[in-house]
Amino acid sequence: MLCTDETESERAETRRLLRESAAAFAAKESPLGRARALRGAQPDCALAFWRKLAEQGWIGLLVPEQQGGAGLGFAEMAVVVEQLATRVAPEPLVPTAVFAARLLQSCTASELAAQLLSTLAGGDLIAAVAWQEANAQADPCSIQVCAVPDGKGVRISGEKRFIRPGTACEGFVVSALAQGDVGLYWMPCDVAGLVIEAELQADGSRAARLRMEDVRLDAGQCLARGATAADALVRAFDETLVMVSVELLALSRAMLSMTLEYLRTRVQFGKAIGSFQALQHRAVDLYIQQELTSALVGQAVVLLDGDAGAKERGAMASRAKARAADAALAIGREAVQMHGAIGYTDEYDLGLYLNRALVLSAWLGNGLTHRRRFAANNPLGYGGSALT
Amino acid sequence: MEKSLPAASKTDWNALDDETFRHEVRSFFEEHYPAHLRYPKTRLRWHQISDWTLTLSRKGWIAPAWPVEYGGMGLAPVKLLIFFEEQERWGVGRAPDQGINQVGPLLIKYGSEAHRREFLPPIIACEHIWCQGYSEPGAGSDLASLRTEALLDGDEFVINGQKTWTSLAQDATHMYLLVRTDKSVKKQQGISFLLVDIDSPGITLRPIRNIAGNEEFCEVFLDNVRVPKTRLVGEINQGWTIAKALLGFERIMLGSPKAAQYVLARLEELAVRLGLDRDMGFVDRFTQLRLDVADLGALYIRFVDQVKRGEQLGPDVSILKVWATETFSRLASLMVDAAGSAGATMGDVELFGSHANILSSYYSARPATIYGGSNEIQRNILASQVLGLPN
Repeated sequence: MLCTDETESERAETRRLLRESAAAFAAKESPLGRARALRGAQPDCALAFWRKLAEQGWIGLLVPEQQGGAGLGFAEMAVVVEQLATRVAPEPLVPTAVFAARLLQSCTASELAAQLLSTLAGGDLIAAVAWQEANAQADPCSIQVCAVPDGKGVRISGEKRFIRPGTACEGFVVSALAQGDVGLYWMPCDVAGLVIEAELQADGSRAARLRMEDVRLDAGQCLARGATAADALVRAFDETLVMVSVELLALSRAMLSMTLEYLRTRVQFGKAIGSFQALQHRAVDLYIQQELTSALVGQAVVLLDGDAGAKERGAMASRAKARAADAALAIGREAVQMHGAIGYTDEYDLGLYLNRALVLSAWLGNGLTHRRRFAANNPLGYGGSALT
Repeated sequence: MEKSLPAASKTDWNALDDETFRHEVRSFFEEHYPAHLRYPKTRLRWHQISDWTLTLSRKGWIAPAWPVEYGGMGLAPVKLLIFFEEQERWGVGRAPDQGINQVGPLLIKYGSEAHRREFLPPIIACEHIWCQGYSEPGAGSDLASLRTEALLDGDEFVINGQKTWTSLAQDATHMYLLVRTDKSVKKQQGISFLLVDIDSPGITLRPIRNIAGNEEFCEVFLDNVRVPKTRLVGEINQGWTIAKALLGFERIMLGSPKAAQYVLARLEELAVRLGLDRDMGFVDRFTQLRLDVADLGALYIRFVDQVKRGEQLGPDVSILKVWATETFSRLASLMVDAAGSAGATMGDVELFGSHANILSSYYSARPATIYGGSNEIQRNILASQVLGLPN
């Protein structure tokens, strides 16, 4: 998907430099105290910080150059996502700069989509994707909400839920069934008939719940329909799953590293508690989960930048999300236990990571949901086990 | 006794490109490996596998990792991985391979020229079959506490003691063993490495039946066994260092996903036959394990890529062994659960018109987490060497 003819080693060098600058940026601009202070705030992220991300060129990182972006790949996006996740930055980089941006980019026939995308890439539009209806849904094309023809436009009624970002966004890409076809529509926040409720999440951010009652949209607000819309939705969904897995992996690394440091230094019974075998073996099991996630997420990112088909991409994305989510939750849970009471306090930073891990695990489908999606798409009895 | 090397081993395998080499190896296995021995249910005994082993020997492929000058194939790491992968892919059974995997490489590194001349050619010719005398009744995971003693008496060592869990000693002609030669120093520093003929006077074998009902390992009693001083490998009291010399990247093979993939496929067949593919409870458990195996594959490839880049593997490669063997164990347990009332039937059990062996995986999963350094020992090593946790 990269339009440059860089060699892989040049690309690796670019990534190394990007990692250095993203790490330095995140350390300087996003200390953990910033994430802590934004919990529960309205909006739940800092627009000034979003502007800085745009100045770095990171919001439009995946967006083609002719649309105002940097035209880089997922390997590069993963580097930035990882560094910001390590600082628990609350800004919606993955929901907006990956999910919404990739979706808009696929709506090639829509003038509005192109316009929205370049505005988004410049940091002047925060958009969210409103796709989910059922709880534990992992098929974005399973849609009940209908777009009923109304003159040249449509009327949409129904409910969408668990949308991130839930505040600070200016509009939603909403999926709806248009006479049996999947349709994607641009719905600004201030449109008549739309009620947005914000549901507080574990990390102090908010997820939106949209109640739509006869929301009237013009024909031009339809971004894509039919196979184009369905394919775009599934593709952007799977790409986002992998980037969320990158975030979850970064959280896992941060929590395990804090815990190992604590085990090395916390003294009880006259010894560092990390010398106790019961804790050592549990720490190793967490490390194994972290490394499984790391190997898998690494493969998944390479796959996104390659030319894999939709089925392979979906299988890999669900595998990555399932492993990354369950690993992060296991590591977070054990991290609290091994820290003891201090790990349970709000004052200690561990909770920031664990709470973000809870949110990212649940968002777009948790481990169980994605294992079931994998199983549904790769059923038993076709020899698939031997191939995986 | 000098042997001339078979002509085939003069081929420079490393000069072939990987796919050509893979094809060559695959075709040979498919053509010559006995069909009835594919994916053996138990550890094969010498009388079962000897024809195949001799075929390999004649082909010049008996020692893929050894240098060409000693009769090996001299394979570079990536070619060696391909060789092992193809062996696993075709379900080629494990021959008694202690001579190939342990004795040869150790003698090449630590032995004298006389040792190499005397012992390497008969290993290549399959005339000598070696077994390993390490574990003792009181020295398992804590191997360095071994007590079998060798005292120098003139030009001979006199050995007294007992070894145990010695795999396939009943098929062996020789045993390499660790013995205590100095009791006055720290336990690791008083151990030496000796080579003995299994039919030396004073050696008694007693096969041990395992819980699967098979005799795959033995107790070995040593009662005033005399061996020439020249059978000492390396310096006296240097045995621990020799035994600890790990065989480089071959440790990666302990974490290969192939065994787990094989059981997974058998489990899938069984589940479909029993209609469990419509049982959500079962499918959830199965899918979890299916992804455990798939993700093991991703982890395995990461270490393989490290080998391909010519990097040394670090102690972190142990995570592969732990995850591979424990995933295999969980799969084997689910197989027993899935079989329901047939979960305790020995051998091939008939279920809905076809046959499945339910318990063979369950039994082979047991030693897998114990041998090669028990998984608890692996976790100790990972905790101290990789995670930097204190002792």
